[in-house]
Amino acid sequence: MLKVSHVTKYYDTLKAVDDLSFEVKDGEIFGLLGVNGAGKTTTFRMIIGLLEPTNGTITLDGVPIDYTVTDKIGFLTEERSLLTKLTVEEQMIYYGTLKGMSKNDILKELDYWLDRFHIKEYKKRKIKELSKGNQQKIQFISAIIHKPKLLILDEPFTGLDPINVELFMDVMREFKKQGSSIIFSSHRMEHVEMFCEKLVILVKGKSVLEGSLKEIKKEYRKKNIHIIGDVDIDAIKKLDGVVEVLTFANEFIVKIENDSIMENVFAIVKKGKNISEFRVEDPSLNEIFLSKVGEVYEG
Amino acid sequence: MKDKLKFLTKQSLDRKINTKTFKIVNILLLCLLIFIANIDSIVHLFGGDFNEETKVYVEDHVNSYSLFEEAFSNISESFQSGNYVLEKKDNVEEFQDSLEKENIILIKLLPDDTNYVKGELISYNDVGMIAFNVIQNALSTVKDRFAISASGLSEEEISALTSPAVLEKTILNEEESSENKEMVASIVSLVIILPCFFLILLLVQMLGAEVNDEKTTRSMEIIISNVSPKTHFLSKIFAATLFVLIQGILLLVYGGLALFSRSLFSSSATSLIQTDGMMELLETVKSSGILTLFVRGLPIFIILFLSSFLLYAIVAGVLASMTTNIEDFQQLQTPMMLIIMLGYYLSLMAVQFDGAIFIKIMAFVPMLSFLLAPVLFLLGQFQMIELVISTIINVVFTWIVFHYGLRIYKVGILNYSSQKLWKKMFQSIKKNKKEI
Repeated sequence: MLKVSHVTKYYDTLKAVDDLSFEVKDGEIFGLLGVNGAGKTTTFRMIIGLLEPTNGTITLDGVPIDYTVTDKIGFLTEERSLLTKLTVEEQMIYYGTLKGMSKNDILKELDYWLDRFHIKEYKKRKIKELSKGNQQKIQFISAIIHKPKLLILDEPFTGLDPINVELFMDVMREFKKQGSSIIFSSHRMEHVEMFCEKLVILVKGKSVLEGSLKEIKKEYRKKNIHIIGDVDIDAIKKLDGVVEVLTFANEFIVKIENDSIMENVFAIVKKGKNISEFRVEDPSLNEIFLSKVGEVYEG
Repeated sequence: MKDKLKFLTKQSLDRKINTKTFKIVNILLLCLLIFIANIDSIVHLFGGDFNEETKVYVEDHVNSYSLFEEAFSNISESFQSGNYVLEKKDNVEEFQDSLEKENIILIKLLPDDTNYVKGELISYNDVGMIAFNVIQNALSTVKDRFAISASGLSEEEISALTSPAVLEKTILNEEESSENKEMVASIVSLVIILPCFFLILLLVQMLGAEVNDEKTTRSMEIIISNVSPKTHFLSKIFAATLFVLIQGILLLVYGGLALFSRSLFSSSATSLIQTDGMMELLETVKSSGILTLFVRGLPIFIILFLSSFLLYAIVAGVLASMTTNIEDFQQLQTPMMLIIMLGYYLSLMAVQFDGAIFIKIMAFVPMLSFLLAPVLFLLGQFQMIELVISTIINVVFTWIVFHYGLRIYKVGILNYSSQKLWKKMFQSIKKNKKEI
């Protein structure tokens, strides 16, 4: 289990991370969200031991993170962190050995993962000759080749097409099943929503929202009502507790402050004609994120 | 961690040696050294005007042809000026028509009332400065002989007059027995200083480029998350130093092969003269006592060179860690290059300014000492104790630079901003050891 307790990090006088605490249990997928400069990368760097926290502690299975436990951690950086002049095989031997693996094990695992990611033919090719997407696959393989206990993924889906995003997710789910803790950041909220169980939203280094996705959505009382049919939309707009009404070709989305408004809206809808849909749903994570961060998300 | 240090060092060394570029460069170096060592043979092989036979027809009116011929041959040989064939003719003017077609010089040796003898030279083209000087000097020899004969001196008196004065030399200080300091300096410069200069340049460039590459590709983050900055830094320093040592040994082998090739290919007369000259040079080196001094100082030289390679590697690594791109590193390394240049020039000046106190002081300064101290020692201007002190200062300084450089390195390798760079670096030096 990864435990981050009251961690603060200063760069000179700038507070990059402010009293951050969270836990990622074994077999759990955890999202670390925030706009650019919110402190995500600094947090990742502290977790893998690249930076020392100014205050607070970080432990993996109760042991403070240092070079005795870093072999158990897999890290995928936001930017490409590959030596582009090396071949795929050389690169994997390089990083794998640093993780304490033997050459034979590395090559065995490499063959499996290259096959799994459909890039077997690139084994002897130089990394600089590969496409961005394939480089991302190589980088991902380098983070998981040693079967880490803790997998840290900073923007893992960058440069990937939807098919490969799904492939990455499958692998991440497999690691989850095997008991690995996964902590990742992404600008794509739909990715986070799809398989993240717990998350933290950072604003200027401080946690503004944390907990399980279900609880967060539950506590976030605003709802969205989808309506298809001829209704008196002006009457709905005048109701107290209606935040916003979005109009599409044949659909309205009514954003309400809480569940209690729902009945009033339904009362107006009942009077309408040709009603084919009245559906109440939780807001998307993106909406929650935007409301918490209070600015347009740079997605 | 030791295994990872070994692995990283091997990996770094492999990336320098196990490349096509390294192999190609070394083949080129070997070819170039063989080429340079045999340059005179190669020039002769291709031939040219210098190789053409020049006929020199001499019309003698002073009855001194044999004396002129002997003087001409001796002077021509010492100048290595060309291929001349001298012939005595009754009337050289008969050959004037052939001058345009053939390579012929016509000379008339004529009596002169004031100067005993004078000459007339006829050629189609200008004979060139060297040939003219050879002819003029040979004529002067004839003229001198005429002058001395006219004085009525006996053969013995003439011989005593023309032979050089004897100056016997006795040097009481054995360490000052070097016969030709300039030659010593040129040998030391060629065999030790120049290769070291070249190797240091190579070391700084390669280490800087490698650290910069790992930093700019962000692979540094992955590496440093698995090994400590100290292990990483040490691996770079060891690999770079090992690389220059291997390259240095290879250069020595290539030098040996080049000399061996010279002995194989030196068949022409000129090459034979050059080979003789080289043997003479080696003999002089042997007799001058340099070899004895070199053997005495060798263990200290090795420590001094090794610590200096490490020192330059540490400085290059620290500078590379501070920069965010290779262009910045190129600029930052310029002062270091100038320091090496300064050392190189001071080592050459050490011969000219015998016993110069300033140069002696500079020989104790780290980063310069490896270029100056061995030269001063071999020239007899440095005692063994001074050489040892200079080496100790260099070793201690190297350790201090590593100690504080590592603090900068740890901060530098993960710093991607050039804002307040120097402030950040100085702050990192002040941080306590625990944080490193």
